Amino acid sequence: MENKSVDLTLLDGVLEEYASVKGSLITILQNTQDIYGYLPKEAIELISEKTGIATSEIMGVGTFYTQFRFEPVGKYLIMLCQGTACHVNSSELILQTIKDELGIEDGQTTADGLFSLKCVACLGCCSLSPVMMINEDTYGSLTPDKTKKILKELREAAQ
Amino acid sequence: MRIVIGQGSCGIAAGAEKVRKALLKTSVDPDKISITGCIGMCYLEPIVDIYDDDNNLTRLVKVSENDAEAIAQFVENGDRSAVEKLIVSDEDSEFLTKQTRIALRNCGIINPDEIDAYINADGYTALKKALGMTPEEVIDIIKVSGLAGRGGAGFPTWFKWNAARQSAGEEKYLICNADEGDPGAFMDRAVIESDPHNLIEGMLIGAYAIGAKHAVVYVRAEYPLAIKRLKNAIAQAKEKGIIGENIFGSDFSCDFMIKAGAGAFVCGEETALIESLEGHRGMPRLKPPFPAQSGFWRKPSNINNVETFANVGWIINNGGEAFAAMGTENSKGTKVFAVTGKVKRSGLVEIPMGKTLRDVIFDIGGGMKTDKPFKAVQMGGPSGGCIPADLIDTVIDYKALGATGAIMGSGGMVVMDESTCMVGMAKFFLDFTAKESCGKCIHCRIGTKRMLEMLDRITKGEGKEGDIELLEELCYSIKDGALCGLGQTAPNPVLTTIKYFRDEYEAHIKEKKCPAGECSDLIEYKIIADKCRGCTLCARNCPVGAISGTVKNPHVINTEKCIKCGKCYTSCKFGAIVKE
Amino acid sequence: MINLTINGKAVQAPEGSTILEAARLNDIYIPTLCYDEAVEVYGACGLCVVEAEGIPKLLRSCSAKCSEGMVINTESERVVQSRKVAMELLMSAHDGDCVAPCQLNCPARTDCQGYVGLIANGEYDAAIKLIKNKIPLPASIGRVCPHPCEKACRRKNVEEPINIAQLKAFAADMDLKSDNYIPEVMASTGKKVAVIGGGPAGLTAAYYLTIMGHSVTVYDMMEKMGGMLRYGIPQYRLPKEVLDKEIAIIEKTGVKLVNNVKLGKDFTIKSLKEENDAVIVAVGAWKSSSMRTPGEELEGVYGGIDFLRGVIKGNAPEIGEKVAICGGGNTAMDACRTAVRLGAKEVYVVYRRTRAEMPADELEIEEAEEEGVIYKFLTNPLSFNGEDGKVKSITLQVMELGEPDASGRRRPVPVEGKTEEIAVDSVILAIGQKLVQGDVSELKLNERGNIEADPDFFTTDLEGVFAIGDATNRGASIAIEAIGEADRCAKAVDAYLSGKALDTRVPYISKRDESSIDYSDRKKQSRVTPKVLPADVRNKNFDEVSLGFTEDEAKEEASRCLECGCREYYKCKLLNVAQLYDINPERFKGEMPQKYSRDENAFIERNTSKCILCGLCVRSCREVMDLHSIGLLGRGFKTDISPAFNLPLDQTNCTNCGLCVSLCPTGALTEKSVLDKQVPLNEEYSEETVEIDGQQASVLVSRYNGKVLRVIPNDELSRSMKLSREELLELVK
Repeated sequence: MENKSVDLTLLDGVLEEYASVKGSLITILQNTQDIYGYLPKEAIELISEKTGIATSEIMGVGTFYTQFRFEPVGKYLIMLCQGTACHVNSSELILQTIKDELGIEDGQTTADGLFSLKCVACLGCCSLSPVMMINEDTYGSLTPDKTKKILKELREAAQ
Repeated sequence: MRIVIGQGSCGIAAGAEKVRKALLKTSVDPDKISITGCIGMCYLEPIVDIYDDDNNLTRLVKVSENDAEAIAQFVENGDRSAVEKLIVSDEDSEFLTKQTRIALRNCGIINPDEIDAYINADGYTALKKALGMTPEEVIDIIKVSGLAGRGGAGFPTWFKWNAARQSAGEEKYLICNADEGDPGAFMDRAVIESDPHNLIEGMLIGAYAIGAKHAVVYVRAEYPLAIKRLKNAIAQAKEKGIIGENIFGSDFSCDFMIKAGAGAFVCGEETALIESLEGHRGMPRLKPPFPAQSGFWRKPSNINNVETFANVGWIINNGGEAFAAMGTENSKGTKVFAVTGKVKRSGLVEIPMGKTLRDVIFDIGGGMKTDKPFKAVQMGGPSGGCIPADLIDTVIDYKALGATGAIMGSGGMVVMDESTCMVGMAKFFLDFTAKESCGKCIHCRIGTKRMLEMLDRITKGEGKEGDIELLEELCYSIKDGALCGLGQTAPNPVLTTIKYFRDEYEAHIKEKKCPAGECSDLIEYKIIADKCRGCTLCARNCPVGAISGTVKNPHVINTEKCIKCGKCYTSCKFGAIVKE
Repeated sequence: MINLTINGKAVQAPEGSTILEAARLNDIYIPTLCYDEAVEVYGACGLCVVEAEGIPKLLRSCSAKCSEGMVINTESERVVQSRKVAMELLMSAHDGDCVAPCQLNCPARTDCQGYVGLIANGEYDAAIKLIKNKIPLPASIGRVCPHPCEKACRRKNVEEPINIAQLKAFAADMDLKSDNYIPEVMASTGKKVAVIGGGPAGLTAAYYLTIMGHSVTVYDMMEKMGGMLRYGIPQYRLPKEVLDKEIAIIEKTGVKLVNNVKLGKDFTIKSLKEENDAVIVAVGAWKSSSMRTPGEELEGVYGGIDFLRGVIKGNAPEIGEKVAICGGGNTAMDACRTAVRLGAKEVYVVYRRTRAEMPADELEIEEAEEEGVIYKFLTNPLSFNGEDGKVKSITLQVMELGEPDASGRRRPVPVEGKTEEIAVDSVILAIGQKLVQGDVSELKLNERGNIEADPDFFTTDLEGVFAIGDATNRGASIAIEAIGEADRCAKAVDAYLSGKALDTRVPYISKRDESSIDYSDRKKQSRVTPKVLPADVRNKNFDEVSLGFTEDEAKEEASRCLECGCREYYKCKLLNVAQLYDINPERFKGEMPQKYSRDENAFIERNTSKCILCGLCVRSCREVMDLHSIGLLGRGFKTDISPAFNLPLDQTNCTNCGLCVSLCPTGALTEKSVLDKQVPLNEEYSEETVEIDGQQASVLVSRYNGKVLRVIPNDELSRSMKLSREELLELVK
């Protein structure tokens, strides 16, 4: 993916609010990711400068939690639930379907930048298992066919 | 008449928001349409409740946006015929009527976005009452109630409160652990989404009891709706002076803060949670010192989970004895379970302690959803274990469940039928704990990984004689040596499955067979010629071209080529493909 | 003070102490890997666990506080099991070699990487001392050894192995050319040892026992010492002048040498035992093996070593113009090349397999060919045919290769009915050698007819009599094998003489999985071999063929070493703890958490595949230095320690204070020494006080062979100065 320059002024508000509040690193990183979709290196360096927290510590925190990403993600972020109920109800088949349909593995983004796949911890919608979330929307009671249909609709919607 | 739409995360995922939007487009007065949280009958979502002016309820289930007009007809003209098919059955109604709801008492009834709805349901009266007592008296009531930590460990709540109260220092913290990370558990999410003020009230009472001026809720990031509703509730409570300085005119002041987790199961462990609250990697601290002495910012801190706090207000209002009257000798009150998996009616079940697993799974849950028999129930998630069918009459009680090798846990109850491979189940949980291990201590970091590798080999048919014993040895060493609860309990899913399903492990290792037919490396797909109609669907679905045959003639699977993806199996409309 | 009981002993500790502090205060050892007073307790390694009466869980003693009346057990079965599994898990994820494969494959465990590295640095003096810890005859062995070390050398996976044997000969020659290294001999023990046989085994045992303070005499039947090295190896390969010099050094060390005395004639084992406290039998195997081929008794058919010995002693047998040598080993090579030098016109080597299976050294095979030797591969003598009792021809059975045998080599099988005949004037059978049994009839022999000696203690059925080398157990082998036995035997004899117990257990060491090693990042650099005399010059005389390394060649060759063995071997805390428990990490073998990688700056080398995530580096950098140059990355099994964004250390704010390195319990972080090529050495460390800017500061100084190799800041002041390596070295000058 192209390395576009990162507009660091977007971070001003977040840093103003939290930079001097101790214990706020995770909150700052969450806000940063909301802005850029991921944690750009330049942003991490700026956060370090403003908070006085070393970049090694920020990276330590950033890489510890699964929520944080260091690469931009696709237009649609598919979060496939890996919970127990989903497992029992064959989420493995759904994972395989997504991989086959999109030709990507967990953690990867399609070449056209449309879809990213991420297997996530239980989404807590166990009664609808197997479940996935795409961006803000939750899709439940998935079957391979239903999954294919959803992906197809999203792809068409994007065109 | 008013319309209430169940809008927990499950409901929304099932289409409740679409239903609400569709209803708003009808002629029904928008002011009559409101929402509530999670009713708990997740398998019937989306659910629309219609109350007449005498507050009589008509519950409509599995509603779709296309039903909006019919609902409007019913509300405006009383025309039942159009919604008849949506009305909940008597049988399904029993799912709720057989429960005893304390922690969930307002869930699915009141509007979680309105503080007045909570206040109208006697909300914040317990806080007012508590502020009229001394903190010691409050702790005493909790002691009498026998309330124990609902997060899993079952430690007496009053004891923790008392320890934090006794701890020296002016600055103290009351923390709520809403990092509900067990896969298969969503009780806490439902409470926060459906009745956030109940949590706030319980926490404020706790803060008063221990002498904390700061209350913090640590919510997992995967629960955006819960965070949103809780934020809203905090703002409303502040506005009403329920949070802040001199609450209800008393000397008691307390502020409130929400911190969102960022995706780490280990942060459910209290010292890791504190590290995370401070903005660090969520790696557990050594104990001692315990949080009651040195916790958040090294100040005395008390941590309880959501469901624990959700009981507090009721206990203060109804008395410790009333709570203690429910349950067994060593487990008091009620417990909420998230019942999921291969069960017919999945959702939230709150019942008094002392009921049996059978009561929950068969009486309330309606038994199995498929024709395959019940095999086991997994309780306590990655820290818990699998309880087999012949222990279905085990009483819900900390001790009795502990004796099976599983634990009460936070309330996840995943029901499994004969198609679930128990070695695969153990592998599933080890995969989870290995991924979630913080990496600090050797036993957990490397031990869970090595267990996972062994289980993986076994499910691939590469297990060897002695593997079960080696797994057991490793399990006991990890239990003994791991630094925190995550590691210490990580072997439980393996130990319980070995204990109750050893023959299944042996079948994988010795006969290279998976009795449940789930481990793809150990099964073969075959087409029964008599049943095959030659529709060619399987051949078209096969990604590797392993199926051959001509139209209207029985097809054949080339087992050499077959990658066992199971696509033919799921695509066949005639049941002609079998796993062996 | 608090009163408590640890391991049954009543002890006291100050109020507020942890159990670990209390134990250390009372000299009770509890292992730790992630603990250090300099930083906050962490609790990661879990090795410090102890059991306390009345407490169901194991306690981490680094954090659990003592309380009055506590009863602690630091070594209970449960505690030991927990530590053992912890170490097994840890080592299953520790991707490193404690010791280089060359050293492990040397039967004498010679520190090849050590001396190769020292040679690369021009430290020849230190190199010879290191070699002589294991081999007292390195100039000779360096010339003749079939070098199993080189077979294990991983450089072969890049292009070719290091020329380890020749480098050893080079270092030894340097020593012979200058003041010879004579080791320091310990105070006399007053014990007397007799060694029968002055070959490599006997001389080695005598040398090391002498160093240990015993009075040793070597008895040998030949005119001169050296055994097979002298009488079995041709002059052109090992000039006897070199051997003489090395034996002279052994003699100078204090070994008494007695020649021309024969076991069974001049003395018996028992008679020697009566005069000595111990006897070592190292008589060798001096009889050529038979092929059991018809015609072996004919005149003109000689045994390989008999032939070589005759030539060396100056009474070469008549071999004529056409000579056939049977066999494919180094003795066959020695015999054929000797035959060429004696003037034979047609020299054949008859070998039943192909060139690829020949056990002889490849260089020998090539050089013999250059000298005109004709190979008859895939042939096997059926009969030696004679006239008037003298050999005239050989009938050869033509062979082909079949299925692999137990040794992995393809088994030669006869091609039915296909034979060949070659005319010869003489035949030399170079197919092995045997013990002359009559010499050792006082001792119990095994079914092979060799002396039965204990494989660990080298004892025989006679009290105080030990046996080593070619005469024992499995029979003849290579010299370095005998030397290794002799070294271990010397320790066994010393233990016997002093009444001490000898621990023969092989301590655990970590080894990398050979198949997992990636060499793609290594630049190719050809193997350097010493120049040799041209074939048409050397085939006419017995001058040494190899001209030996020049200094430049030696350094260039030595610099190719991949440095497989860990530099921290001598002070690795991880290895120390691992060796305390009977561990078998193999049972938990699985994926390695980190790829083997190196990051280095002028001072520090990081190797994350060896990291055990004790966190001491990260914590000390944060808590003590407030630098945060490195941090933890990721989580779980794949947790890594690295500077932010995986930058090299050079691009961080690291001040090279060295604190992390000194706290690292293993080889994940190492401080480079002043040597150009880094070498694992058993350095001596001492804390020294120096003056920095007029203030007293403490530094840690390491020395090897008298040379300062590193100066490491050792207190707040010295760490805060951010001194360069040159400045630090200047402090102790």
